[in-house]
Amino acid sequence: MSYELIALFMFASMMALLLTGQRVFGVIGAVAVLAALPLWGTGGVEIAFAQSIKLMKWYPLLTLPMFIFMGYMLSESRIADDLYRMFHVWFGPVPGGLAIGTIGLMVVISAMNGLSVAGMAIGATIALPELLRRGYDKQMITGVVQGGSSLGILIPPSVVLVLYGMIARQPVSQLWLAGALPGLLMAGLFVAYIAVRCYLQPHLGPALSREERAEITWGERIRLLRAGILPFMIFFLMNGLFLMGVTSLVESSAVGAVSAMAAAIIKGRLTRKVLENTVRKTLGISCMFMWIILAALCFGAVFDGLGAVRAIEGFFLDRLGLDRWQILILMQLSFLLMGTFLDDTAMLVIVAPLYVPLVKALEFDLVWYGVLYTITCQIAYMTPPFGYNLFLMRAMAPPEIKLRDIYLSVIPFVAVMVLTLLIVMMFPQLALWLPAQFRGTLQG
Amino acid sequence: MNALAAYIRLVDRFNRRVGRFAMYLIFAMMGVLLWSSISKYAGSPALWTLEMAQFIMVGYYVLGGPYSVQMGDHVRMDLLYSGWSPRRKAAIDTVTVLFLMFYLCVLLYGGISSTTYALEFGERAHSVWRPYMWPVKLIATTGVLLMLLQALAELFRDILFLRGISVDHPHEAGL
Repeated sequence: MSYELIALFMFASMMALLLTGQRVFGVIGAVAVLAALPLWGTGGVEIAFAQSIKLMKWYPLLTLPMFIFMGYMLSESRIADDLYRMFHVWFGPVPGGLAIGTIGLMVVISAMNGLSVAGMAIGATIALPELLRRGYDKQMITGVVQGGSSLGILIPPSVVLVLYGMIARQPVSQLWLAGALPGLLMAGLFVAYIAVRCYLQPHLGPALSREERAEITWGERIRLLRAGILPFMIFFLMNGLFLMGVTSLVESSAVGAVSAMAAAIIKGRLTRKVLENTVRKTLGISCMFMWIILAALCFGAVFDGLGAVRAIEGFFLDRLGLDRWQILILMQLSFLLMGTFLDDTAMLVIVAPLYVPLVKALEFDLVWYGVLYTITCQIAYMTPPFGYNLFLMRAMAPPEIKLRDIYLSVIPFVAVMVLTLLIVMMFPQLALWLPAQFRGTLQG
Repeated sequence: MNALAAYIRLVDRFNRRVGRFAMYLIFAMMGVLLWSSISKYAGSPALWTLEMAQFIMVGYYVLGGPYSVQMGDHVRMDLLYSGWSPRRKAAIDTVTVLFLMFYLCVLLYGGISSTTYALEFGERAHSVWRPYMWPVKLIATTGVLLMLLQALAELFRDILFLRGISVDHPHEAGL
């Protein structure tokens, strides 16, 4: 069989089986071992289990359960509630201010956690009801929470970049630093969009009334700033110690998890129920990720071993005869397209191994491409019909927010993300400047 | 029929216990990693911490796997699936779960052969600590076996459901 045929067979059977709704990890694993058995002879049987050792030895993966734990600890114990109140009071007086404050809150939460789920939970359960009560436009604020929480995977720490680092064999610390400035740029563009839109159409985001503002004394404003102390401590213990070279990457993820738990204890919010929910959900989500990675590693190894990766390279480079930038743009477009239809986690671990060798062959910087890849994932998370964030939103949002609102709300925010993507593509230094400052000084 | 229901209950209960134990291993991982940074700070870095944490992680996700299947945490692509009736879901799952079980069988076969090899030749990791590899391989293989038993339980559950008998997952039954 030719390489193209093998690639086509593996993808077609995977898509067909995925459509039956069987668990994603089972589908990927089954297609991989089925392709390995007849084509590879007897050695192919061991390849599936061998991946579990490969997975174990890839040490940044230890950060995954730690960050998932941290995210659930922050959202289940509701220690971010006070933080929301702080942003609320400080930004309230401007039109659209509460929405801007929500973006600020999301940036802070993103800096403490590597997935979008914690930001989503906090945004949907605390910020949304409050903003609705204040007469904010529901489509705009639904978009604010979705766009804002997706920053979780771009602003370090980021679980998506950990997975990308495994596939592209790049140091996770470099990738995280590369994501920082583009993440802040995206947050800034969100804020600019909200500010301009609410300035032009003040009814979308009414400012706090004069009476209400008078009720808030300066003393209270200063007191509320204290809500920022705990998150800042968590942020410092986790990222600060890591950047100073005191703790390694995985150690700092454990420090982060422990400090989130300590913060919950200090606030008196660590009840039995919170602990039970956090630990159980952490196990569930970690297992989901790990089993998919295990199966996807097997899929990748078989795909690679059969030479099917060469088929994709050959297709882009020889058949189409495009220059490197055209190929890059085509890749991002196909990524976006697949992202809307494929399950996001599966896309992450299946599609990236196919494209990374191509990016390398085209002599693009793999750290820079990691940032482009993450932004594309963010967009894929938010675009219907498949989007992790869309599903979460549907599950968590107050009942008056309909599916239609959720779908329509993402349009301007996706536009801002595409804009950020283009800016980072045109100015690679945005991503690469910060990691260059720390090259060689960090552990992992 | 009663035998199938009894099998489901037995496997559900056993895997739930194993999973509830694995769930708390996250604290063991945290402890080991914290000790790693403390010992480094104290001037005598521990050599075993990273590998130990990795071994615990394997136990965590492999032994916790069947419990996470019970809780329905494994994502499915639900473009069509979410629109189907419970009967139709069960009917299609009885066929497609065979693919999942096939994958697990291949994993189990590889696990057994790799573990026997490790036991026979006293295989050790290539590191300063040089731990034996058989304990972690044995744990992983056991976890895969439990996962297979759980998948079989899911298959039986769907078969019984199609015949009008529903056996709930333990957490749905309020355990």
